[in-house]
Amino acid sequence: MELLTNGIGLTAVVFLPIISALVLTAIPKSQELLIKGFALVSSIVTFVLSVLLLPQFDFSNADKLQLGNKITWIKSINANYEIGIDGISLPLLILSTFITVLAIVYSIEHLPEPKSPKGFLALILVLETGMNGTFVALDLILFFVFFEIVLLPMYFMIGIWGDKTVRSVAGFKNQIETRLYASIKFFVFTLFGSAFMLLGFLGLYYRGNKTFSIPELIELGTSGAFTGTFATLVFAVLFLGFAVKVPMWPLHTWLPDAHTAAPTVGSVLLAAILLKLGSYGFIRIAIPILPEQAKAWAPAIAILSAIGIIYGSLACLAQTDLKRLIAFSSVGHMGFVMLGIASLTPIGINAAIIGMVAHGVITGLLFFLSGSMAHTYHTRDMGRLGGNMKLLPKTGALLGFTAMASLGLPGLAGFWGEFMALLGAFNPLEGLNVTIFRSSMVAGAIGTVLTAGYLLWMLQRVNLGEPSEEWNEMELHDADGYELAAWIPLVILTILIGVFPKLIFGATNDAVVSLLTKAFGG
Amino acid sequence: MAAFALFGTLASLAPLVIQWANYTSPLYAFENSYVVDKFSIILKGLFILITYLTFLLSINFIESDKYYQGEYYYLLLSSLLGALVVSSSRDLLTIFIGIELASTPMFLLSGWKKGDRKSNEGAIKFFLLGVLSASLILYGFSLIYGLTGQLVFSEISTYLLLNALGDSPVLLLSSILVISGIGFKISVVPFHSWAPDTYEGAPLPITAYLSVSSKATGFVALIVLLTKVFATSGQSWGVILAIISGATMTLGNLVALQQSNPVRLLAYSSISQAGFIIAPLAVAGITGNYQDGIFASVTYLIIYAFMNLGAFLSIHLFSNFAGSDNFYDWGGIAKHSPLAGVLTTVFFFSLAGIPPLGGWFAKFVVFRSLLSTGEIVGISLAIIGAINAVIALVYYARISKVIWMDELKNPEQEQTFEFQNPLKVVGAFTVLITFIAGVFPGIFSYLGEVSSIFFGN
Repeated sequence: MELLTNGIGLTAVVFLPIISALVLTAIPKSQELLIKGFALVSSIVTFVLSVLLLPQFDFSNADKLQLGNKITWIKSINANYEIGIDGISLPLLILSTFITVLAIVYSIEHLPEPKSPKGFLALILVLETGMNGTFVALDLILFFVFFEIVLLPMYFMIGIWGDKTVRSVAGFKNQIETRLYASIKFFVFTLFGSAFMLLGFLGLYYRGNKTFSIPELIELGTSGAFTGTFATLVFAVLFLGFAVKVPMWPLHTWLPDAHTAAPTVGSVLLAAILLKLGSYGFIRIAIPILPEQAKAWAPAIAILSAIGIIYGSLACLAQTDLKRLIAFSSVGHMGFVMLGIASLTPIGINAAIIGMVAHGVITGLLFFLSGSMAHTYHTRDMGRLGGNMKLLPKTGALLGFTAMASLGLPGLAGFWGEFMALLGAFNPLEGLNVTIFRSSMVAGAIGTVLTAGYLLWMLQRVNLGEPSEEWNEMELHDADGYELAAWIPLVILTILIGVFPKLIFGATNDAVVSLLTKAFGG
Repeated sequence: MAAFALFGTLASLAPLVIQWANYTSPLYAFENSYVVDKFSIILKGLFILITYLTFLLSINFIESDKYYQGEYYYLLLSSLLGALVVSSSRDLLTIFIGIELASTPMFLLSGWKKGDRKSNEGAIKFFLLGVLSASLILYGFSLIYGLTGQLVFSEISTYLLLNALGDSPVLLLSSILVISGIGFKISVVPFHSWAPDTYEGAPLPITAYLSVSSKATGFVALIVLLTKVFATSGQSWGVILAIISGATMTLGNLVALQQSNPVRLLAYSSISQAGFIIAPLAVAGITGNYQDGIFASVTYLIIYAFMNLGAFLSIHLFSNFAGSDNFYDWGGIAKHSPLAGVLTTVFFFSLAGIPPLGGWFAKFVVFRSLLSTGEIVGISLAIIGAINAVIALVYYARISKVIWMDELKNPEQEQTFEFQNPLKVVGAFTVLITFIAGVFPGIFSYLGEVSSIFFGN
């Protein structure tokens, strides 16, 4: 077990997927079964490895970075291969390895067109390396590299396997396929944010004794090394980089396009993990390194989050496309996460992390369901769907359950993140403008009502009522074994986290409290 | 003949390796006008490798048209010799001869396709502007000579120091002339107008060589001259270079967005990349932090050289296969050769600077040197650079989009995809360097020390 604790375990969790992806490309195309089997096995091994780390992780010291290592990587600029996890990153890392397994399970029988299992599965595995790496990286440059590695696979996933509907888009002369527009928009938005984020990292490097190490920079930051205009600018660019990824209103416009256009598994991974890279960046980097600036920006972040919550819900009410509705619901849910972060209190940030995990599980499942339904019905238009409970009882029941979880029903995972984020905003960190936060809280509370509204309305339109006649002729297949195998674990997790939120808080709470104590004292 | 040229190029690496292994301190020859130091050894290695890869790119092309094989190799080798001279020369005359020796053969080679009007037009433009640039450089040199009466760099700087001529307007004028002259060679705005036409007209291997080796020669000459001769007026030329750099990145990118011919696209992209390469020099001139500046420029230059060669290789493969010079006709073509498709994707995204491909480290060290002192010029250039990196992504990604995501134009096409062995070697080599540079950029660390030594002596 020594092997797992000195950084090798974490390294394996990060790099096993990309190595498997390379091996995968060497398998001849005709061996389809072998390709799928190999991808599945390697994702399961990665997941098991990440679970094996749990007993090694010292939960009584969850605020300390553990199981890591530090090796020289780029000597000339003092960037190191520094990794480690604490209570904040642990749940996210396991979520990432877990969702990847489910994504691959689902893909075994449900590959999007054009069918090419090799390329598709290899991209998922490369994506996993980027996601896992971001959660364990403790060096800004390493973080940046992993943060960016996810772009290429996702770009191709959306662009090659995405939605082929042709539509006209403002700014384009000719009509363009949704997937092409969405993929480049996703790429350009994210790169725009991260290019500036990199400049911010360099700024910290030069003011901070030429180190990229996050723990060292946190020490410097909390002892007041970064101040004045410099710190304001750096926080601004970090904000840009992370907020695009989250995404926060008004930088969110890539999200509905990308999520709607992506193939089912792509949307699941985007919603479940990729969005979390942004909010994780706030918790891991922006706030602890620049606490004073975080305090100064917090009201603005709270207001933007509140706008995001209301805007996301209103946009959902206006959707006719099932998948696009779920995409917009992410804007709202991530708004709660950011509202929790903005409060800068233990409650708020714990809420943010459990909210991230819950959103990953619930929205991931929603995208699975809507993707599968779109595949069965060949439409996502809610006007034509209806009576789904009668046509596809299993899928319909799951959709009902997940919608309840998503609207924050107590007892299910979604409840804790929303409720505690509002609680955090009611009583933000001392010194923050209470009026702004309480107004944001009220807006958030209205948002929960709207969220319930659009989800219930969606259920009414899709699940209930009589099926339209156009489906009479068609043979509709309800969820098969592979689909259930991918979905049921998420259902169980939703209930588990809902009933025992301590599963998450047990890991996060100490780390969050210590982070905030270091940053803001007392 | 090809084999002989290949062997000769490779064999000339041997003395370099010996020099490197036995290296203790810089060796000077011909009264300090020629030097062998680590800086020059590394650059020579780079030039030789580029030429070697260019030969490999050329073999099939040159065998397909029957005439003048010998001349082709001879001219390229002459150009290589010029590049090698430039990296070692430390006096005005030698460096001028080196620069011209490197570029003169290219006038002929760029007009290689005799019957092709575009090729002729490009060659004539290149020739005329090349002569203009040579005369600008010479004029600049003559001013220094008039001012100091010296030719050797070390003596020029001693003379300037002793006579307190460091901020003499004549020196500044001379530096402006030299920057303009070399500006043509490295095709920075506003001296770039010849490049797209010449690139388009020339045979593809020659275009690759022009955009990589000729450019690198110009950069090396610029780095040497700016640091060894004009360092004292850095405050002034730094600002000029900064403006040129910002304009070059932006204009190159904006025009590249409009291109449908892959060669012209790469021509404008390489103009834009040149803006990134000179940015650190500009800031180094202003702040005096030459060490970081040279490190950044040279690192960028090396990574750029290989990924750009790779990019030319991939468009060479696809335009031959598709028989079209409009890359919008290449829809779905990667399905015919996933290998070539992956290579193309790697090189173009590396040019865009996406980790874990080498280009990210190149861009990163440039940003790092721009921000090193917190100088406002550096910060502005970094912001312009960051915006440009995003703009560039749009057209770099477009090629991948077309070859992977667009519908196959004629799925019935029976034609086999030709990927000759020499080209495979080029692909393997460049892709390897691109990945190594991106994943283990630590190998460039020694360049940091080398550039400090370079500036120190």
